[in-house]
Amino acid sequence: MSSVTLRLRLKREEGSLVRVLGLVRRKRFEVVQLRAELAPEGDYLAVRMTLETAREGSAIAAHIEKLLDASHVEVIEAEETDRELRAARVAS
Amino acid sequence: MKGAEFFVKALEREGVEVIFGYPGGAIMPVYDALLDSKIRHILTRHEQGAALAADGYARASGKVGVCMATSGPGATNLVTGIANAYMDSIPMVAITGQVATPLMGTDAFQEVDIFGITLPVVKHSFLVEKSRELPRVVHEAFRIARSGRPGPVLIDLPKDVANTVAEYQFAESDQDEDLPAPSDESLMRAAELILASRRPVIYAGGGIGMARAVDAFQAFVEKTRIPVIATLKGLGSIPTRHELFLGMMGMHGMKASNIAVQNCDLLICIGARFDDRATGKLSAFAPHAKVIHMDADPSEVGKLRRAEAPVLGDLRKALEALSIPADCDAWRRECLANKVEHAWDYGAPGDGIYAPWFLKRLSQIGGDSMVIACDVGQHQMWVAQHCDFSRPEQHLTSGGLGTMGYGLPAAIGAQIARPDACVINVSGDGSIMMNLQELATLRRYDLPVKIVLIDNHALGMVRQWQELFHDKRYSEVDLSDNPDFARVAEAMGIPAFRVDFRKDTDDAIRRLLAEPGPALAHVVIDQEANVWPIVGPGKSNSEMMDEVRK
Repeated sequence: MSSVTLRLRLKREEGSLVRVLGLVRRKRFEVVQLRAELAPEGDYLAVRMTLETAREGSAIAAHIEKLLDASHVEVIEAEETDRELRAARVAS
Repeated sequence: MKGAEFFVKALEREGVEVIFGYPGGAIMPVYDALLDSKIRHILTRHEQGAALAADGYARASGKVGVCMATSGPGATNLVTGIANAYMDSIPMVAITGQVATPLMGTDAFQEVDIFGITLPVVKHSFLVEKSRELPRVVHEAFRIARSGRPGPVLIDLPKDVANTVAEYQFAESDQDEDLPAPSDESLMRAAELILASRRPVIYAGGGIGMARAVDAFQAFVEKTRIPVIATLKGLGSIPTRHELFLGMMGMHGMKASNIAVQNCDLLICIGARFDDRATGKLSAFAPHAKVIHMDADPSEVGKLRRAEAPVLGDLRKALEALSIPADCDAWRRECLANKVEHAWDYGAPGDGIYAPWFLKRLSQIGGDSMVIACDVGQHQMWVAQHCDFSRPEQHLTSGGLGTMGYGLPAAIGAQIARPDACVINVSGDGSIMMNLQELATLRRYDLPVKIVLIDNHALGMVRQWQELFHDKRYSEVDLSDNPDFARVAEAMGIPAFRVDFRKDTDDAIRRLLAEPGPALAHVVIDQEANVWPIVGPGKSNSEMMDEVRK
């Protein structure tokens, strides 16, 4: 199993988050962590999600980038995620 | 102006000339507005027929196909056609009526969440909740459908939005975004691989036609002189009679093609996606080859097979840049010798119709300009193996989804798009029944589509698999109680006749083609006729099974 964490910026359009989650499921990725919130300007959703898969993790980014609602897709490597989590724990 | 009136004017502005559709409650405002429009509406007898006709129209014309239906069952009946377009990257805009916005989410009469239902099978979709969104949505839908890797786009239009009276202004026209040119680095790497290779093969896919890169592709082949194999959808990207064309590859590919791909040292994949029907057992596919993968869609590259040289972006520019002579004379001779050695033997025993020969003769007598719309099954593979095509838009076939019932409505769409073309629907006795009602559409518009209905009284491809891979345990494949197709056609006003014997092949084809309007030839073949060669499930393309003639 591999894990990938993504940071997305989705246009605030009908079904944009559902579209991403459906794509993730169809490509055989499982969502293990998800956070989505409307940006202060109110025109996009900031999404951060961690996925697990038996396939190559970073491949999902290319698929999400094709969605017209996704204006920004960024892969955060697993190691970086761990570091961020550790940093968050230390900070708290 | 009402929203629906503006909507129709916006469609006109996008260049829409034809809509395939079927009216109903929620879409009535648009149908009312259509009465005052120059757009031609083709009334099919089922919404699935409308969606598949729009697909055929798009493939034959290169334009965006448009289909329309009402909410609820009208919308769900479009889904197979939308999915078909998605799988084969066909530019389409599907318009559905929706219940009024205050009723949405209340399980209203004929309410269905078509936006949600189609999410996995559209390139994009719009639910128009505010009339002010109409100008942008219509313009965006067409731009998205045809740009980059084409695909279907859904516009779900609630009835109250369609009835809203307001001041509307057309969206500002913006140009379609050009695909980026491939990077110099990627082209350099690909050129190095071509120059170093001694056994290269070109693996041509449907993306060549989609990218309108056929001329650049043919120039690339002439310059490199590398042997070519093609996927089902790649047929016609180079004339199938071309000396360097070895044939279709894959499960029912020509032997020379599959041998070439298994022995090559460089596979130049152009606009194809390593589909399982083409590759067979993926781990054993082209085992000695490095891969150059040219595609407009970055997500396809490396999806199933790692490419040593990915070339992303505009195919035409990539092909022009890589048109360099390859050093592969000995290999080319070997491939062409294999092509001769494994050429098809049309001398089958018996006096019944031999489908490969019938289709070969159809292609020869009908000539190079025919458009053939296939259904799905054995006859589809025989068409791919035995008919000749000079351009991809001559061969309309449901490659990705494999939609039985595709052929007749697709032929209708193609004939509307190209009224002067000789359009043939090759169908089977299973497939034709899936959209038989569209014979009435042929008659209504007097479209001169010619139907070759190959009847083996069975679901032939499934029967073949049960024979070969399920120990002849035949399960629900018998169709011996089929209706008399010639009489059915005649009841719908279409001249028809039956052919049983091989000696009548040429006469039957000439009689069919001589009919001024639509006509059907009911061609009866042996139920046990199989498609050869075949690569069994989970097997490598090197493990092709050949026909053993008794």
